[in-house]
Amino acid sequence: MKKTSIASALLAALALSSNASAQTIDISITNLTHAQHFTPRLVIAHDSSIDAFEPGVEASSALAWLAEAGVIDDAQSIDSSGQNFEALLGPVDNDNTSNTWHRFDGLVAPSTTVSYPFDTMDKPYLSILAMLVPTNDAFVGLDSIAIPTEPGTYTYTLHAYDAGTELNDELNSTRTDIVAQGGAALGGYGVPGVAGVGASPVPLGTGGTGVAVTVGFDQDGNAIGANEVVDGTDGPVHIHRNVLGDTSLTDGASDLQSTEHRWLNPVARVTITIPAP
Amino acid sequence: MKTKLFKLSLLTLLVTLATGCVDDGDTGAVGPQGPAGVDGSDGADGQDGNDGANGTNGNTAVYTVQITNLTYSQPLSPAAIIMHEPGYYAFVEGQSASVELEQLAEGGDPSGIVSTASTQVQFLDGIATSGPIGPRSIGSESTLVVPDLDADNLRLSIATMLVDTNDAFTGLNAMDISNMEVGDSRAFMAPSWDSGTEANLETADTMPGPAAAAAGGGGATAGFNAARDDLFDRVRLHAGAVTNANANDASKEGLSTSILTEADRWDNPTAKILVTRTR
Repeated sequence: MKKTSIASALLAALALSSNASAQTIDISITNLTHAQHFTPRLVIAHDSSIDAFEPGVEASSALAWLAEAGVIDDAQSIDSSGQNFEALLGPVDNDNTSNTWHRFDGLVAPSTTVSYPFDTMDKPYLSILAMLVPTNDAFVGLDSIAIPTEPGTYTYTLHAYDAGTELNDELNSTRTDIVAQGGAALGGYGVPGVAGVGASPVPLGTGGTGVAVTVGFDQDGNAIGANEVVDGTDGPVHIHRNVLGDTSLTDGASDLQSTEHRWLNPVARVTITIPAP
Repeated sequence: MKTKLFKLSLLTLLVTLATGCVDDGDTGAVGPQGPAGVDGSDGADGQDGNDGANGTNGNTAVYTVQITNLTYSQPLSPAAIIMHEPGYYAFVEGQSASVELEQLAEGGDPSGIVSTASTQVQFLDGIATSGPIGPRSIGSESTLVVPDLDADNLRLSIATMLVDTNDAFTGLNAMDISNMEVGDSRAFMAPSWDSGTEANLETADTMPGPAAAAAGGGGATAGFNAARDDLFDRVRLHAGAVTNANANDASKEGLSTSILTEADRWDNPTAKILVTRTR
């Protein structure tokens, strides 16, 4: 999408610049999954110098924070300061020249729709990102679409991507019987385990041995602490292969439920309404 | 003999000594001419000539096609990339696959599709790419050239195998890429089809890719097989690999005889195709 016609992007920018007033569009997001919530949504209007994610390219630390922990800015997690999208893009709700962005707070539950007005500040492209919970590092992404200029309603279907910054162990991060290699608790950014366990409409298991990893072993199969989970990566960014899950709360590989937590693309529908001038 | 030699040497020595002592003899003959000197360095280049006038329209439209492998662990085989007029189809959903598509979908060989397409009246240009595209990576660009007159009604067909499967492939089925201006790019997200030509056993001796090779099979002998032993001999969207994940737990939802693991699963889209008109 990045290569999408610089010429026409410039043309669009020129056309818009004649209209001095900022453009507020309406964005509506529907969660099409069965049992995955969306974390707070990062909505970015931007020029062609900004690329929040690109399949086949390694994730930024900002994308890792969003995809592993649902974190976009300092207000959500001071630990993410300097590494998150706020650091990458600039202040929130501001014209940062190359972009303007907003965090739409709260979770989007399965089979629900939320709508927001959003001031694009006449930037030509739109990207939207949110983490899927409970997963290790899955996110739903709208990848730099050209914002339509004609008034009307436009619909897009979105895919689930894997940020590739954490192995898909599918282990319940509320468990205390297992820890990250080195002893840290399971959970969000930089540690194994699925984030957002509390949001799941069904209970997670507590006895899984790991899906893309095995508790007690590193990625090469060498023994580590018997209750330790290795933290590895599986990038660059790609289409998520879906969670595996299983049907047991007490054993099997996964703490996710195969009958509930799986999805198939698309995982979201986005409708953009461009108002009449 | 020895004595004679000695004497001769002594004589030579005496003569030499005599020459050295007497310095007012005649000047000797002029010696031979020395070798030619090294060539001098070249002079500076002349100035460039004026640019030629613009040529008349070459009557060609040029496109690049770039495939990104969106899967976690499925390599994509060399691809058949064909630009054509409406009316040609590399495959039709619900109909049985051609032998050439079977060779691509089971064995990863795109050459048959391209060579067969080139005999069709709708064919404009086609390429069988040379190497695979690894998982999670962006492939190199292929360049195709078609008559400019066809740019307003142009189709793009692509087929490339997911090689750690029996007969899955991704690509585009006569996608409409008409009316692209020079400089325009269009991106397409591609689904995955099952060619319907081979049962999805997911075993080492029926799949050609690295997963099968790691399990002691794979390679050409595990690729194309002329037998049609799928449930229905029809091209359709692929239902995904079952794999051996969860095969041995109480759920038994996995396929215990599969050599594929959960890592070999995928969800659509499996490929992103970026088309750019460059001329």
